[in-house]
Formats: sequence, C-alpha cells, structure tokens
Amino acid sequence: MNLRSSLILREVCRLVIPAVMLFGLYVQFHGEYGPGGGFQAGVIFAAAVILYALVYGRQKAQRILPTETVRYFTAAGVLLYAGVGVATMLLGGNFLDYDVLLQGHQQAQHLGIFLIELGVGITVGAVMIAIFYTLDEFCE
Amino acid sequence: MITGYFNYWVVIVLMMMGFYIVISDSNLIKKIIGLNIFQTSVFILFISMSKVKGGTAPILIAGADVYSNPLPHVLILTAIVVGVSTTALGLAIIARIHRAYGTVDETIIHEQDDLQDEN
Repeated sequence: MNLRSSLILREVCRLVIPAVMLFGLYVQFHGEYGPGGGFQAGVIFAAAVILYALVYGRQKAQRILPTETVRYFTAAGVLLYAGVGVATMLLGGNFLDYDVLLQGHQQAQHLGIFLIELGVGITVGAVMIAIFYTLDEFCE
Repeated sequence: MITGYFNYWVVIVLMMMGFYIVISDSNLIKKIIGLNIFQTSVFILFISMSKVKGGTAPILIAGADVYSNPLPHVLILTAIVVGVSTTALGLAIIARIHRAYGTVDETIIHEQDDLQDEN
C-alpha cells in the first residue's frame, strides 16, 4: 500500500500540516505562560514535516528542508543555548544568569527563557527530522 | 479504592499492556512500541507522585503557599528525551537487521541463524 496514492490523505494533509505548524509555534512562544516549551514545540513542528515527508515523499520534503540545512539547525540551537550562557558570563553574571541581560528582573528572565527555549525547540525539531531522514534513507 | 488511585490503575494497565506486547509479539517494531507504552506508564507514575494535595503549579503567585513538586516533572522531561533517543537507536538497529536478514520478525531471524549454524 502506498501512502502517496491516496487522494483523500493528500488533501487532508494539505489542510492539517499548516495548522500543526502553527500550533507548534504557539506552543513554542506561549511556553512561558502556559504548558509548553521548546521540547514539545520542536517535536510538534517536526511532526508536521515528517507527515509531509510521509505523504508526499521524502524527496519533496528534502527539496524544502535539505539534510544539510537540518544539520545546521541542529547545531544552531545548541549554539543559541550555550551562546546565551556565555553572553551572561561576558556581561558579568553566572552561566545562564538572565538578570544581567536586561535592566528589569522580570524582563530579563523573560528574554532569557525565551532564547533558551528557542534554542531547545530548534535543536529538538531538527534532530527529529534528521532521525527520520536518516532512517528513511537507510531503509530504501 | 478504584477512584482514589485512578492514576496508579492506569499505570498498571499500561505497564502490563506494554510488557505483554514486548514478550508476546515477535515483530521487532511492535516490541519497540510495547517498550514505549511501558515507558509511558513509568512517566505517569512519576508525575502522579509529584502531585501535592491542594498544591498549585510551582510558580510564584500571590496567595499560594502549597506547590506541587516540580522535580519529578523535570526528571520525566529528561526521561522523555532519553526515551526518544533510545527509540531512534532501536529503530536504527532494526533497520540494520532488516537489511541483513530481510525481515523484522524475530522467529524468522532465529530460524535463519539456526540454518547458518548448521551449514
């Protein structure tokens, strides 16, 4: 049975994938106020890409998001996380001591956790996609 | 009795379901799925234990002085990530086995191994 042959599946996915991506972004950027955060958002966002790859074929997904790009994103998220920590140290605080980033305590904490969660989200999402690409390429 | 420990009953049911899949099915992919269900039951067990009666989320709010324990939540967040990694590793090994044996069924793999030993 081929997933790509089903017209219903393709049309439903065309509607679902943007909603899943939007929800992933919501979970990412609403993580400070409600349930959510980088881990969950990364996985939800990756799920949208993996669904696209499953239904339309991995080659098509890789045309939008090549393996090389995904690998760069994997490193970029970690770099952002560690970069925030190093930046706080350069500004005179401890590692990941957000208070030195901005003037007010609350604003600084807000910015700090926002950047950290963004780094986590990018890395987790990219790693999930990379795992899928690798396994799919291997199994061909 | 049943309603008071509802979470723990769910944990036991999920754990036994996962365990049964792992030992009963010879399909390696299904074994991984069973292992994941088993793992989920452990997550729920830990999260349930962290609940403090009358406690709120561990965020500083005016008027709240009882909080649920955040430590198990953090532990389980890490465990989920480790679970994803071990699942990916298991699937990679299964993909390698499939390339070598042409099947993911454990009984057939054992048969092929026995045949090879005889020759």
